[in-house]
Formats: sequence, C-alpha cells, structure tokens
Amino acid sequence: MIKLENITVENLSSVSFEIKESSVCKIITSSDYQKRIFLNTILALQKPAEGRVFLFGKDINSISEKESFEIFRKIGMVWREGGLISNLKVWENITLPIWYHMGKGAEDFEEMVLDIFKEMGKDISELSAYMKKLPGPLPVHEKRLIGMARAILMDPDLMIYDSLFEGLNFQMAERLVRLTTNFHSEKPGRSSVYISSDEQSLKDVKADIVLKHFGKGYTT
Amino acid sequence: MLQIINTERIGKNVLNAISHLKGTYGLFINSIKNISALKIAPVRMVAYRQLYFTGLEALSKVAIIGALIGIVIITQVTNIVGLNALLIGKILLWTVVRELGPLFAAIIIIARSCTAVASELGSMKVNREVDSLRIMGIDPLDYLIVPRIVGITVSVFILTFYFQIIAIAGGLALSSVLIDIPFLQHLRGIFSALSLFEIGISLLKSAVFGMIISTVACYHGFRVQLSITEIPQVTTIAVMQSLFLVFIFDGIITLISFL
Repeated sequence: MIKLENITVENLSSVSFEIKESSVCKIITSSDYQKRIFLNTILALQKPAEGRVFLFGKDINSISEKESFEIFRKIGMVWREGGLISNLKVWENITLPIWYHMGKGAEDFEEMVLDIFKEMGKDISELSAYMKKLPGPLPVHEKRLIGMARAILMDPDLMIYDSLFEGLNFQMAERLVRLTTNFHSEKPGRSSVYISSDEQSLKDVKADIVLKHFGKGYTT
Repeated sequence: MLQIINTERIGKNVLNAISHLKGTYGLFINSIKNISALKIAPVRMVAYRQLYFTGLEALSKVAIIGALIGIVIITQVTNIVGLNALLIGKILLWTVVRELGPLFAAIIIIARSCTAVASELGSMKVNREVDSLRIMGIDPLDYLIVPRIVGITVSVFILTFYFQIIAIAGGLALSSVLIDIPFLQHLRGIFSALSLFEIGISLLKSAVFGMIISTVACYHGFRVQLSITEIPQVTTIAVMQSLFLVFIFDGIITLISFL
C-alpha cells in the first residue's frame, strides 16, 4: 500500500520500506518536524529530492493530480490538528468527503456517526449542539476525534493516524486503541499506520511493523 | 549620485505584475474548464454561501450608496440643466447605467468580498486545510475556487442591476421630496432614453468585473504558503490588482461599445 524507495528529503535520508495490505504499522519519528516531512512525503505534499513513493502501486509523484485524488479517496487521514475546514460546522466537516464523493445526504449517516461518537465516549445528549459548532474554538484533541469520525465514514483501505493519542487521558486513549483496532479488522486488507514522535503514546498499539529512529540509509 | 528612478525595482515590479496576471488568467481558464464541478452538491453549497455573503449581505450597503449617489447626480444635473426631463434622463443613463452602476458595485464587492476571499483562502492554506482537502480526494480548485468565482460573478451582476435601480428610482424619489423635482416626469425621461444596448453593456461590464474580482482574490489567496504574515500582503495586492483591472476593462469595454 505504501512503498518508499530510497527517499531522501530534508532530514530523511535514503529511507526505504514497504507497508503491505492488512498490516498495522507504528512509525516513531525523532521529532515532530521529521514526522511532518515524512507525512508530507508519503502524501505527495512534498517532493523528495531523491527516490520514489508508491501509494497503492502508483508512483504518487509521477501521476496526474486527478489520478492522485482517486488514490487519496482510499486513504483515511487523521491529522494531529484535525485537518478540519474552519468555515464548516462539525457535522458538515464529518460528512464533507462522503457527501462530496458519494453524494449521500446527511441523514444516511446519523446512526453511524452516533455510534462512532458513542464508542469515543462522547455524551450523546450533547451531540446535537456539538455538531452545530464551528471547529475553531474546540481543543485540538476534539478536532482530531472529529477528523477521525470523518475518516472512518469513508471506510478507507488505508488509515493513517497522526499522533492520535497525544494529549488524551488514559481512558480515552484506551478507548481509541480499541476503536481503531476494531475498525482495522472490519475490512479485509485494510492497513493502519500510527505515526508519532512520542513513542510512549503508541505503547498500547499492537503492530506488525515498527519503524523508528530514521537515519541515513534506513531500510526495513 | 542619488538615483531618483530605480529601474531595477520598476523592472522587478513589472515582471511581478506580469507573472500575477499570467497566474490569474491560468486560474480563470482552469476554473472554466472545471465548471462542471457545480454538479457536485457540496460545491453548489459553497457557491450558494458565497452568493449569500457577497450578494445578499451587501444589498443594504449597495442600496444606501446607490440612493446617495442618485441624489448627488440628480441634484447636480438639475442645477446645470434645469428641469429638462429628457436631458436629465440621458445624463443619468450615461453616468449611472453605463459607468457608475457597474463600477460602484465592483468597488463595493472589492472592499467587502475580495478582501474576505483572499484572506479566507490564505488562512486555509496556512492552516493546511487545503492539504486536508487534497488528502480527502477533493480538488481544491473544484471545491474552493470554482464556486467562489461563480458566486461572486453572479453577485456583482445582480448588485449592479440593483444599484442602478436604487440610484435612479431612489435618487429621483428622494430628490423629488428634498428639492421638488417632478418624479414621474423625470422617470419617464429616463425610460425614453433607455435602450437594451445600454443595459446589455452595463451587465456585460458587471459580469467581467465579477470574474476579475473573484479570480484575482482566489489567485492571491492561494499564493499564501506558510506564514500568516503573508495574508495581509496578498490581500492588499488582490485589492489593488482588482481595482486596476476593473478600471482597465471598464475603459476597454466603454471604448469598444460606444466609439
């Protein structure tokens, strides 16, 4: 699903590895900055100085923008800061990609969204007012949860969690580990990638592949 | 020796302006090619919102400015030509319908929406919302640019028409109360001088101005890279470039149509 061939970009040098179908992978970077460079590189937001990045078998930097959008539809990205659209309300943020790509109306997802937030431990009685809020004033971990609900609705083949557990209390982190683990096994072939610069925050995630401390000539 | 004309700086500014014009033109062409994105429901929703913010919310401001401009012109014209209804009608048409209507509507939109769109898109770039859209498989051109260009263009078109009606009818109505001008007689004078050609040219101008303002605002908003300090800079450039282009195209359309 993700394959890096001798990637050299800023503070990453000659990095190669592959994440195959049905894998759970933990990536621990040496800093937040390195994590950002890494994510930017695999998501084609930054072109590497050397090497190639393959997503779902396609060299992401040599295909057209339209083709890359088709590939990105298969990816659920949960950004550390949520990656929410600031002028859309919480509900509109959650349903934006599914409404955009599948044309389904909001009413089709009410039950599903309710279930996701229940599993996240949200107070359901307050959910109606919560959904009408703009995301700006919400704490960063709340924005991350909204971003996660948005990604889950798209039922992606590849989930990428950027610092998902950072800043969460123990119960909440535990709940999210359970939620992401269950979500991973719901679809055959789905891969999950947890990335963080804080190794401790990923300690409860059971992964098949663990990548850490990128350096020169790093290969797995 | 003190260098009064810095040729290097002038050259750099000219090159910058040309590069911005090329970028704006490219963005406009790409947006036209992607106009079918309006078939997608969330894109249409953005266009409706833009129409609301740019068109509907500006109605009261346009009405006040339109009525005031109408009074000023009618008072001045009455002072010069007396109560010659036909001549007053023609002068009103020349000023309000041909020139001031499209120009004032455009200037109001530049002040309100060009700044808002450039700074909004700039903030979205800085906050990585545009990247987030890409990773959701949503083309930012389709979702952010196309509906804004359509929404603003339609708004300028409608506001121009609205401005002209308020400036003429409202101006005449207020003037008839304040300086005892026969309202109906003057209104008849205006209608007798009015032609479809005049209305067509003014609406063509408003459509062109709308496309210019929206594309320039989107282009400069999207130029923001990483720093929040870039936002006021691009907003200022967007406003100045919109104003320049609106006046240039106003001159070109006027020359072509009335020569």
